[in-house]
Amino acid sequence: MNPRTRRALEFVLDNLVWFMLLFVLVVFSLFVPNYFQLGIFANIVEASSVLGVMSIGLALVIITGHMDLSVESVAALSAMTVGILFCSSGIGMGVVLYPQWLMVPASLVLALAVGGLIGAFNGYLVVKMKMSAFIITLASYIWVRGLVLVISGGRSAQDLAPSIRWFGIQRLMGIPLTAWIAISSFIAFSLILAKTPFGRHLTMIGGNETATFRAGIKVNRNLILAFVLAGAIAGMAGWLLVIRTSGATANLGIGLLFNAFAAVVIGGVSLKGGVGTLPGVYAGVLLLSSINTAINLMGLPANFTQVIHGLLVLAAVLLDAFKQSIRQRLA
Amino acid sequence: MRRILLSVFGVLALAFALLTPAFAQTKGVVYYMVPTLLDEFQTGSVSALELFLKQVGYEMKTLNADNKTDVQQSQMNDVIALKPGAIILAAVDFNALKPSIEAARAAGIPVVEFDRQITSTKSDLTSVAGTIEIGYVAAEQAEKLLSARNGSVKGKILQVLGDPGDPYTLDIQKGFEEKMAEFPEVKIISVPAMQWEASNAGTIVADQMLANPDIDLIFGHAAHLSVAAVASLESAGKKPGDVMLMSSNGAPVGLDLIRKGWLNVEVEQPLYAQAAAVAMFMDKIVNKQEIKPGEYDVIGLKGVVTNEEWGPNIKVPGAAIDKSNVDDPKFWGNLKPPTDTVKSAE
Repeated sequence: MNPRTRRALEFVLDNLVWFMLLFVLVVFSLFVPNYFQLGIFANIVEASSVLGVMSIGLALVIITGHMDLSVESVAALSAMTVGILFCSSGIGMGVVLYPQWLMVPASLVLALAVGGLIGAFNGYLVVKMKMSAFIITLASYIWVRGLVLVISGGRSAQDLAPSIRWFGIQRLMGIPLTAWIAISSFIAFSLILAKTPFGRHLTMIGGNETATFRAGIKVNRNLILAFVLAGAIAGMAGWLLVIRTSGATANLGIGLLFNAFAAVVIGGVSLKGGVGTLPGVYAGVLLLSSINTAINLMGLPANFTQVIHGLLVLAAVLLDAFKQSIRQRLA
Repeated sequence: MRRILLSVFGVLALAFALLTPAFAQTKGVVYYMVPTLLDEFQTGSVSALELFLKQVGYEMKTLNADNKTDVQQSQMNDVIALKPGAIILAAVDFNALKPSIEAARAAGIPVVEFDRQITSTKSDLTSVAGTIEIGYVAAEQAEKLLSARNGSVKGKILQVLGDPGDPYTLDIQKGFEEKMAEFPEVKIISVPAMQWEASNAGTIVADQMLANPDIDLIFGHAAHLSVAAVASLESAGKKPGDVMLMSSNGAPVGLDLIRKGWLNVEVEQPLYAQAAAVAMFMDKIVNKQEIKPGEYDVIGLKGVVTNEEWGPNIKVPGAAIDKSNVDDPKFWGNLKPPTDTVKSAE
């Protein structure tokens, strides 16, 4: 293979998820009625905001070679906490701060804090107590969702404070602010992961934890920080959920974890750690969101949608595996 | 040391015995197998059943299956071993629980079906609003709303279902579409909101409003789905009344949306009456006496008992709630439990 072809092939492989996204968008635009319009593309970006933000935190932990199964429940708990405090009907307490715009940063900080605390708890047990991240975060997935039930009693908080709600309905250049928040988060964390020592250390830890430790890098501190960040980012996803739906129900965010995992894997992050970029993850998120939107628009019989969704995700993952095998042959 | 440990265990055992509800004087313990606690109807059903059963002398314990059929089957097996006065079952899956119901009844434990009707085997009482009937009531309301807006029953309806694995939503869809089939000029687009999750419903509404901007009416199968639908409409710059909205189950959030002018109609499930009906007949159920068919006054509503192949069945009709009656305390969504005391049926 001549170097030029090889470079072209490597470029395609490096960006396969973006090509898959483009392919899917073209196919759906051609065959799904009403799909090809700017408003639908804006919806795809908006619908991917919560999943996208959650996937950032999950990807950070997976890149270190660990796992965080609790992010979905953490998002739900943060959402419910914000909902209870800042909603005025249902179980909402209707807390009002003056000036009212203060409620926006206050609710966000609250969501981040709730998520960060649980992330710190997970991180401490995994790193300091040397326990399996899979088991610890699985347990957190269960008890945190249980806590949502306990604090809500199964009821919902509705009527979010108008100043916070404003974020959920405002648009900038035709794209909702929630989507801009997700895009900004992706840009920020992509830079952190690629350009800062902390980001590079996370990837190194995932590649070879022992070698990283021997190189004098504070592995434990970085790992705990990764869990704290995953929790806090999940908290932010919960905050976005509340402002998108204008309230919090006990089942909010249910099922997000599996989609987040799918997005991370499709986006090229290795479950073994050490490999992956956040722009790839964002493309994975957009890909899933495009599929969901197509399914919504196709008006298929309800029983079929889950099968089709699952098969399309499977196809994307298989294509990713195919990419890995070509890459190995090239190496 | 041993003495201290023995004292501690002694105190704990005494506290446990005193705290055990069985210590209290009741006619017996009834287990309520609730399918999930993730929605307000279900949590409301727990408190309503508890309240009414207490009024007729029973203590109630609740087990939550978290929407998992296998968990509910195991819970049924466990409860059968405890030999309670009766089991009230709101089945996760309408048919998968059939063997468990039969096992309970074979062990001499009466089984009451609550909210979700199981017709494939006998039970001692079924108390339902009727999910298919909710679909019928919703169709009648859709007919009125479309006529008022378009001059005749024509237009486009977006039906936001719940999870496609939940027979509750599929039955409502069946009833609704069966009635709406009489109106060929009405187009219905049905999309499921996976896991009954609100943000999924919001996304569906956002997408469909772009693909079909001429949607006249959105029918969400639960009030919390309508909340997310409203958020999407608001985000698209719509005002209350621009798109008509309707939902079913009568949750508090639905009534709030009616008051705010977003929701036109909420088809209620008469939660309090459904629960009160169970309590009214509990003595007869526990003592294995006949429940006679006919009309019964169930906390002010007319309940009709019929003898069906699967046993006595009481159905209390659900009402349509709109701006004119939204504040009526009889609707469970107003969260004011009835002050009337339930009495055992004669």
